[in-house]
Amino acid sequence: MPDFSPTELAVPGFVALVLIEMIWAWRKRREAYEPRDTLTSLAFGLGSTVAGLLTGGLFLALFLWAWQFRMFDIGWSWWAFALCFVLDDLAYYWVHRFGHRVRWFWASHVNHHSSQHYNLSTALRQTWTGFLTLGFAFKLPLVLLGFHPGMIAICAGFNLIYQFWIHTEAIKKMPRWFEAVMNTPSHHRVHHATNPRYLDKNYAGVFIIWDRLFGTFEAERDDEKIRYGIVRQLGSFNLLWAVFHEWIGIAQDVRRAPWRHKLSYLLREPGWSHDGSRQTSDQIRADWIARSEAANKVAVQNAIAETGKPT
Amino acid sequence: MGLPPDLLRFAGSLLAILLLAGMAWSLKLGPQRRLDSDNAAREAAREALDGFEPVALARDREGRAALLRDADDRLLLIRQHGSHFAGRLLGENASARIENGALIVDSGERRYGAVRLAIADAEAWRDAIARL
Repeated sequence: MPDFSPTELAVPGFVALVLIEMIWAWRKRREAYEPRDTLTSLAFGLGSTVAGLLTGGLFLALFLWAWQFRMFDIGWSWWAFALCFVLDDLAYYWVHRFGHRVRWFWASHVNHHSSQHYNLSTALRQTWTGFLTLGFAFKLPLVLLGFHPGMIAICAGFNLIYQFWIHTEAIKKMPRWFEAVMNTPSHHRVHHATNPRYLDKNYAGVFIIWDRLFGTFEAERDDEKIRYGIVRQLGSFNLLWAVFHEWIGIAQDVRRAPWRHKLSYLLREPGWSHDGSRQTSDQIRADWIARSEAANKVAVQNAIAETGKPT
Repeated sequence: MGLPPDLLRFAGSLLAILLLAGMAWSLKLGPQRRLDSDNAAREAAREALDGFEPVALARDREGRAALLRDADDRLLLIRQHGSHFAGRLLGENASARIENGALIVDSGERRYGAVRLAIADAEAWRDAIARL
């Protein structure tokens, strides 16, 4: 198994690109960065690397153990790498979708969405607690098919590197053919938005085709300003609070809830509550649609009343 | 005896982080937004809580925070958070008091903190919070 970590090699490139984007922000959009937010994002990245070092070996050992039960001997050929990359990206789509739809998974993934900014430093805002979720289980089918765990780890590394550059407002749109197939800054801005229209859309890692295929695609609109972050913004730059706030919220909710609802606070979607005191993304979107329809109806009635006036 | 490679990488990354954050500071990125008009406060309220339509509002004189009430008598507190705003719908845990003529609103959430608003009619807003 090759001792090769693409993400480690990419770190100097990450630093250089953040610097370049900061200079762009200084010249064009100073509000694109905020020093305390940047510091929090980067500290997230460092802590995530440490967490990965502490727990990554455990998952690799688990995958190597499972690999003995593989269906095929796929080997290390170029086509195996290409196929592994595509299938790993498909697995990523589902891990990511669960990360938004199951609160237990969200508690870890929310870290990545906790900034109200959207810049390259946001890309490094990675979780410290991924090992507490079952994300790795989505990649087990690849191991059982016969892809070597080392190959899967390398593909996942390149996947993460690809996702770095799309965390920017400096690039508006890529060429049309590229936007059709690949995840881009435009598609991923939608994913980080809290606008009701955009909630829980565009889960793709590298290929946006998964969202088009599974019905979760939403195109960015020019007429709607994007608000980044989470529905209930943290309002704090405290790193440890940012890392653990959703886990603490789950613990508090489970403790307070009646017995029959306790498990739902782990397994239902974020925002669900047994007494209806909060809103899920689906409820927020439904309310927004109802309001928009009501506003349109009034606008149409006004227009009819206008045209019906005697001249 | 050299340092373990992982420790060296950690130290290098930490140095890069401090360098980048220092760069953001020295370039004066992230200017603070102010609520310099009632419309700005309404817009920030809608950003904080989608669909919140205020019927009354009180804006801090410095534009750092605002309190807004909608037709259902819900009270929304918004305050600066870096170059953005963060809001909280006030509930029964919220409290308010007047200090040196300014209204101090505690959302009841420790991490969100207490917010100071220099506003006219602070007593009326304090009483409205007490009624929640």
